Amino acid sequence: MLDEAAEQAKSIRIELDEEYLRLIARAEALPQNQSGADKTWVWRMDHAFREHYRRVKRG
Amino acid sequence: MDPLGPLTKALQARAVRFVVIGVGGANYYALDGSSVFLTEDRDLFLPPDPENLVQCWAGCEAAGLELWSGDEPLDKPRDRWLADRVVEKRALTRATGADLKIDLTLVMAGFEFDAIWTERRIFNLDEIDIPVARLLHIVTSKHAVGRDKDRLFLATHREALQELLGREERK
Repeated sequence: MLDEAAEQAKSIRIELDEEYLRLIARAEALPQNQSGADKTWVWRMDHAFREHYRRVKRG
Repeated sequence: MDPLGPLTKALQARAVRFVVIGVGGANYYALDGSSVFLTEDRDLFLPPDPENLVQCWAGCEAAGLELWSGDEPLDKPRDRWLADRVVEKRALTRATGADLKIDLTLVMAGFEFDAIWTERRIFNLDEIDIPVARLLHIVTSKHAVGRDKDRLFLATHREALQELLGREERK
């Protein structure tokens, strides 16, 4: 399964085309992404993910 | 508290210049939880300045982190002589602690430090100011590196932005 995923990754071609650049510009322009914004929630989310995966056991 | 917080405090107390890059940096631009990506490492981009690197290592130690070069502990003394060699080779050093792996990199594909530093954003994390590279710079650099994991990130990231910003438009 991992080999398959690795092969898939090799076949992905992502271009920084106008559409992607436009999406990035929009994300950067959002009020919540300006300097001074509180991003504490990002760490809380990251921490929750880590705790979840730490508890995962092989079936 | 984000383990990056105490480290950031220690680095800022020593006037260390650094910017968060990589997936960890991109996460700060997430619109909601569905566009936060899990990453094992955090990446701090540093200028090729030996004195800054010495202070950075000192800050990491003050924050209780261990320093590594490859699989081995970073040589001691962690002084200007050692920093000169590391900067000359643009070598990666790493700081690790409980729940934290940080790559201290002097290289960001496609960019010089000053360009990233000039346009950085300062985000607030538990009342600590964290300098983060622009999303555009992070994505452009990942595209330039082009490893499998970078391509996977870009594909997923693009899709997440499309979905979330599309949803915003429809509101």
